[in-house]
Amino acid sequence: MRKVITGNQAVAYGVILSRVDVISAYPITPQTTIVEELSELVASGRSKTIFLKVESEHSAMAALIGASTGGVRCFTATSSHGLAYMHEMLHWASGARLPIVLVNVNRAIGPPWNIWGDQSDSLSQRDTGWIQLYCENNQEVLDTILQAYRIAESVKLPVMVVLDAYVLSHTAEAVEIPTMEEVDQFLPPFCPEYLIDTQEPRAFSAIATPECFLEFRYKTQKAMEQVPEVARKVDDEFRSRFGRGYGAIERYGKEGAEIILMTSGTVTSTSRIVIRKLIGNGHSVAGIKIKRFRPFPSEEIHEEIQGAKKLVVIDRNLSAGVGGVFAQELRASLYSSEERPQVFGFISGLGGRDITPELIEEAVHHAAEHSRPEEEILWLGLKK
Amino acid sequence: MTEQIHFKGVSDMPMISISFGNMDWNKTGAWRSQRPFYEDKTPPCSAACPAGNDIVAFIRKITEGDLEGSWNVIKEENPFPGICGRVCFHPCEAKCNRGKYDESIGIHALERFVADHAPNLNEKMQKVTGVREGKIAIVGSGPAGLSCAYHLARLQYDVTVFESSSSTGGMLRMGIPSYRLPRDVLDQEISRIVALGVEFRTGIALGENLSLDGLRDYQAIFIASGAHRSRSLHIPGEKGKDVLSGLGLLKKINLAKKGKLGNKIAIIGGGNTAIDVARSVIRMGKKATILYRRSKEEMPAFEDEIVEAIEEGVKIRYLVNPVRIQQRDSLKRLECLRMKLGETDETGRRRPVPVPNSNFFIEADSVIIAAGEEIEASFLPKGVERKEGIILTRRDGSTGVKGIFAGGDLTSNQRTVAHAIGSGKKAALAMDCYLRGKDSEEAIQQILIGEGPSLSIFRYLHPEERKMNPHVVAFEELNMDYFEPSKRQRQSKVLAKKRIRGFEEVTSPLTEDRAVKEAERCFSCGTCNECENCYVFCPDISVVKTGEIFSHQVDYDFCKGCGICLSECPRGAISLREEAR
Repeated sequence: MRKVITGNQAVAYGVILSRVDVISAYPITPQTTIVEELSELVASGRSKTIFLKVESEHSAMAALIGASTGGVRCFTATSSHGLAYMHEMLHWASGARLPIVLVNVNRAIGPPWNIWGDQSDSLSQRDTGWIQLYCENNQEVLDTILQAYRIAESVKLPVMVVLDAYVLSHTAEAVEIPTMEEVDQFLPPFCPEYLIDTQEPRAFSAIATPECFLEFRYKTQKAMEQVPEVARKVDDEFRSRFGRGYGAIERYGKEGAEIILMTSGTVTSTSRIVIRKLIGNGHSVAGIKIKRFRPFPSEEIHEEIQGAKKLVVIDRNLSAGVGGVFAQELRASLYSSEERPQVFGFISGLGGRDITPELIEEAVHHAAEHSRPEEEILWLGLKK
Repeated sequence: MTEQIHFKGVSDMPMISISFGNMDWNKTGAWRSQRPFYEDKTPPCSAACPAGNDIVAFIRKITEGDLEGSWNVIKEENPFPGICGRVCFHPCEAKCNRGKYDESIGIHALERFVADHAPNLNEKMQKVTGVREGKIAIVGSGPAGLSCAYHLARLQYDVTVFESSSSTGGMLRMGIPSYRLPRDVLDQEISRIVALGVEFRTGIALGENLSLDGLRDYQAIFIASGAHRSRSLHIPGEKGKDVLSGLGLLKKINLAKKGKLGNKIAIIGGGNTAIDVARSVIRMGKKATILYRRSKEEMPAFEDEIVEAIEEGVKIRYLVNPVRIQQRDSLKRLECLRMKLGETDETGRRRPVPVPNSNFFIEADSVIIAAGEEIEASFLPKGVERKEGIILTRRDGSTGVKGIFAGGDLTSNQRTVAHAIGSGKKAALAMDCYLRGKDSEEAIQQILIGEGPSLSIFRYLHPEERKMNPHVVAFEELNMDYFEPSKRQRQSKVLAKKRIRGFEEVTSPLTEDRAVKEAERCFSCGTCNECENCYVFCPDISVVKTGEIFSHQVDYDFCKGCGICLSECPRGAISLREEAR
C-alpha cells in the first residue's frame, strides 16, 4: 500500500508493523506526533501494544529497560533535550544488552532555545553503546525501523534511528507500506537469551568487580564489531523481500572522482542534485551518504574513496573545540590508511538553517580551489 | 548458599552480568522492621447503619452478578431489604467516603435492587427445625418486633408475636403510605418471618386483652409496642371537630384508603408524619399546606421527602406557629404567630421565637396535628423505668425487670425503621445471652460494628468469619489514584402530576446494568476486593498468588516491609505493625 505520510507517521507504521509489545514515551517537539499517532492507535484498540505513560524521558527508557529485560519488544521516541535527559539510561540499555529501538528526531540543543533540526542531540550520545542509523527520506525511516529490530535482536544492542526535524518528521511524501504478513516473514518474534522469569529468579546487572568489568565491555565492543556483517545480511534480505536496501553508506556520482562529498540525513538529497549538476559542468565529483554512524563504517568508506584526493564533509553538528563529529570520525578512521585524502570539514545548518544547493556547491568549489583546508573547521553560510 | 564461579576469561563469561543461581537462600525478610498484613477494617457505611448491614459485602456480590449471594449477605443482619431499600433515611450514604470524592454510593437503591430480585429466592426461607431453645413472647409486630422475631427464630427459639391491630407490620403498615412502601413488598418480607415458623397473634393488645401475667409461660418478653399517641399542641380548639391527629389519619388512609376530610387541609408539624399526611391527602385530591414553626433547615423530615412533597404541590409555610384553632361555620380558622429563629436550643437547632403582634389567620377545612408521637406504657410493671418520654433500657435492651426487654420507638427518640430493626436484633442477641446465662455486654462488645452502637449478629454466630478491625476507614486513608470520578446512578421517579393520581410507588428500581455500575463505584473501604494492586506493586514479589488465586498471604521470608503494598492499596485493607525484636 502506498500512502502519503509524514516521517513521524512512517515511524508509527514501522512500530506497529514490528509488533512492538511495549511503548513508553514522553512527548517533545518535533517528536510529538509520533507519540500522538501511537497512543491513538493503542487507545482505539487497533494496536494491542501497551503504551506506558511516564513523567520523563529518563523514566521512559527506564521503563523499557524493565520491559525489555522481561523479554518483550520495546520502542520509544524522543528529541533533543529529551534524549539528553535519557543519557544515563541509554548507557544502561546497551550495557544490559537490550535490543530496544529508539527514534530520535534530530533537534538542536539549547540554549539559545531552538526547536529546529541539527544532529547535536544524537551525536552527543555517540559513546553510549547504541547503534545509530540516519535516514534520508520517509520510506527509509519506515524500512530502517523494521531492519533495526532485526539487527538489535541479533547482536543484542540497542538501535537509535535518526531523522531530521520537520524536513522529514513533518513533511509528507509517498511511502510504500508493507503488509503485516510481509513484515512478519522478515521480522520473527523476539526471543531473548535471558529474561526475567519469576519461576526462575536471577539477579540482573549485578555489580561486576574490576576483575571482570573490562571483559563485559570487551563483549559489547565485539558485538558492535558484528554489526557491519549482520546489518549487511539484514539489508540484503530486506532488499530481496521488499526491493529496497540502503547499505551502511551509499556512493553516487562519478566513478573515480577526485572530490567526494560526504553527508548524512536529508542534506544528502540536496547533495545528489548538486553533484549531478557539477558532473554536468564537467567536474570529477561524487557523493557518499553515511547512513550508519555507529559503528562507524570505516571499511565501507575506505573501499568507496579509493583514488579520491579530497573529502568534503558537511556536518550539521558541532563538537565545540574539535569541529564536526562526522569529519572527526572520518579523520580518525583514515589515520591508519595508506591513502589519506584531505578532509575539508564544514559546519553548516545548525539550529535548522537550510543547507541550500548553493552552500553545498560553495563547499565543493572551496575544496576544488584549495590543495588543503585553510582551517580545521570551515564554516558554511556563516554571517560574518 | 551460592557457589562462587571464577571466570578464566571472556570466553566462559555470560553476555551480561547475570546470576545463574538465585537468592532464595537469602531470606531478605530478616531486614524487615515493619510487617504488613491483610486486615479488613470497618467501612463508614456499615458503622453508620443502625440495622448493622454489611454493605460493602452485599455491594461486592452485586458487582460479581451474584444477587442471591448479595441477598444472603443482607438477610444475615436484616430480613427487610425491600423495606429498608425504600424507606430508610440511609445514614450510610451520608457517611459514604465516596461522597467526599464525587457522590456517595446509592446504597438504598442497591439494597432495593437486590430485594426486588429476591421474591424468586423466597423458597430458600424455610422453617427452622430442630431442638427449641425456649419460648419467647414479642409484643408488637413493627420493625423492631419483627426483626427480633426473625433473629430469635434463627437462634432456635419458639417465638410468638402479639399484635394489637388486626394486621401485622405496626408502623410500617399504619404509618408509611404505600406510595413509599407498596403493601406487597411489606407482605412479602413479613411472610418470610412467618415462613421461619414464628407464630403471630393479632388483635391482642397488652394492657387490654392481654396482661404480662398471661405471658408467664414465656421465658423472656420483648416489648416493642411503639409510639402511637399523638402529641398534643396544648392550644385552644385542638380537640374540636375536624381536628385530627396525623398518625390517626394515616392509619385510616393506609388501612382503608379513606378518611373524612374537607378540601383545604392544614397540617401542623415538620416531621415525616406531617409530610406523609400532606402527600397522602394530595393523592386524595385535597389541597395540603404544612405549617412549621422553624425554617427549612431545622425541619426533621427527610430532605428527599420534602422535595417530592413540594413537587406534588404540597405548600410549606415556615416560621408559622398556630396558637388557636377556631371554628367559623364549616371552616377552621387558625390563628398563627410569625416566628423568627433565636438562640440554639438543646437539640442543636435554632429555637423559634414569636414575633410580637404578628398574629394572622389561615383558613382550612380540616386541621391535622402531626407534632410527634408519644409512647403508651401504662401496662408496664413498676420496675421498668422511664425518662423523658421513653422506656429506659440498658445497652442490650434489658429493662429493670428480669426477663423483660424493650426496643423500637418505645425506647428511643431516634424513631426510624432502621433503628427499630437494630434494636430488635440487639434484643434477640441479649435474650439469647440471658437465657444461656452469658454476659450480653461482653457479647455485644465483641460484635460492635466500628465503635457501635450497631452490631453484627453474623459475627455473633460466626466469630471466625469476615473479621474486621473496628477502626472506621476515613477518606484520607484511601488512595484516590485508583479511582475515576463517576456519576451516581439514580432511580427514576414517576412524574409528580402522574403520581398524585393514586398511591402507586413513586420510585422505580435501578435497572440491572445501572445497579452493577453503581455497585462498581463502591470504594470497598477497608475491605480487600482482590484488586491485586499490592501483588502488582510489591518489589519483592512477596504478595503470594497461586495461579489465579489471590491468597492474602505475604511471603515473610522475603518481604522487607517497605510498605508499598499498603500505600498502593486503594482501600486501606492492609496494615503495618512494628516487628517484635
